[in-house]
Amino acid sequence: MPAPLYYFIVGFIVLNAVIGMVTYVTLLERKFAARMQSRIGPYRVGPHGLLQPIADAVKLMMKEDVVPTLADRHVYNLAPIVFLIPCMLIFATVPFAPGLGVADLNIGILFFLAVSAMEIVGLFMAGWGSNNKYALLSAMRAVNQIISYDLPFIFAALVPVVLAGSLRLSDIAQAQVGFFGAFIFYPVIGQLAFIAYIVTTLAAENRVPFDILEAESELVAGFRVEYSGMKFALIQLGEYAHAIGTSFLGALLFFGAWSGPGPAWLGPLWFLLKAMAVFLLITWVRWSFVRIRVDQILAISWKLMLPASLLLLMATATWVAWSAGGA
Amino acid sequence: MAPETRPRGFAREIADLVGAVGRAMRVTFINFVRKPVTVHYPDVQRAYPDRFRGVLALVYDKETGEEACIGCRLCEYICPPQVIKVEMLKAEKRNFAKTFTLELYACEFCELCVQVCPTDAIIMMKSFDVATADRRELLFDKDRLHAVGLQFPASWATGNLLRDMQSPPKAAKAEAAPGKAAGGPE
Repeated sequence: MPAPLYYFIVGFIVLNAVIGMVTYVTLLERKFAARMQSRIGPYRVGPHGLLQPIADAVKLMMKEDVVPTLADRHVYNLAPIVFLIPCMLIFATVPFAPGLGVADLNIGILFFLAVSAMEIVGLFMAGWGSNNKYALLSAMRAVNQIISYDLPFIFAALVPVVLAGSLRLSDIAQAQVGFFGAFIFYPVIGQLAFIAYIVTTLAAENRVPFDILEAESELVAGFRVEYSGMKFALIQLGEYAHAIGTSFLGALLFFGAWSGPGPAWLGPLWFLLKAMAVFLLITWVRWSFVRIRVDQILAISWKLMLPASLLLLMATATWVAWSAGGA
Repeated sequence: MAPETRPRGFAREIADLVGAVGRAMRVTFINFVRKPVTVHYPDVQRAYPDRFRGVLALVYDKETGEEACIGCRLCEYICPPQVIKVEMLKAEKRNFAKTFTLELYACEFCELCVQVCPTDAIIMMKSFDVATADRRELLFDKDRLHAVGLQFPASWATGNLLRDMQSPPKAAKAEAAPGKAAGGPE
């Protein structure tokens, strides 16, 4: 098979799988959140609400598509796509099993981190193009926050890279076999790095308690306040795809991706389960905490997370170099 | 949160933070493993309390089977939002209501009409299930009110029972329990 055709077919499959997964992850999150509040969640559409995501998608498709009169039309219309593309692209490098992925780049994690940081462009376009002061406020807060948290996020994600000695995601997954199949069992370093990863992921995905950019009590929906119908759906899709992408990365970096008991073909299933566990952990945090202020968010980033993650990375590097030299 | 005047030390701050995170996530986890409190409303109906103030209805006399309403218009006079309109129909032995309309869309469910009814004709039902897409359907006439009275279980309160509660205690009872009678509603 010629290479472009291969990439097209596999990419098509992965893209659609991600979109399908995103729709159902919304249901998972809603159910989980409902249980946290002693509710049941979606229940009426289909058995136990299983058709709710489809109903939501159909509803969003049939909604009127409104463009505000004074909006910057081209920026406004382009923003959801610019926002969605990086969120989908991050799945290009994720290996779902040994050799099962779109492209197993030798700089996979670098690609992942670089592309996932690009969503901010679409986000700011949405906030700017809407010509709405609340959307703009939200977009500015988002830029502020995401730039602050990208550094600690990358440092936290680089700890497993140092431990594994490779930037290729499949190599990182394979390298964890020695540590009970997961880097989170690596003494001290693994746990600290995972905590740093979760905290910075929350911030990079703008989820509670770092959700100042959509701050429901002040900015309503933040940068997507003017969007409706399918454009709104695209932005939501992008946000959830990004959340799931970082969950997959977390499961790969810290939980050993496809390693697990059972035959090898169960690997992707294990990977999915671990990623969903990380996603549910993020959701759990979301329903446990209150939103913190902008200055607190920045203080945590620059005064705590950045030095701490940098120190952790340096300590890991020193440890790896020392143990390699000593052995 | 009161501002701290003294620096508290890094280790102490971190310990407090970890403790707070643990407590917050413990609360949500306890809720997560608990059974949801949701009642699937249209399928499962919660047991309503005895004195539920639900939709109003007219009832038939239990002994004779006639309509209990005598068209005295007391409810019309007392109704604060003035949603009840009654016309009396004079008859030989007793009177009847010729028409009885109740604009439920403006009713405030104060139960005053129930309290004044001398024949226990208008009472409240243990149901609020009269939601409709058309406001006009909430303009209840006499037939509809009788139908509602047969459709739902009746609440405890009737005019005579409520007035018994409010009237001074009977002489025999007052002698039996003088202490309680003094504090009773006059």
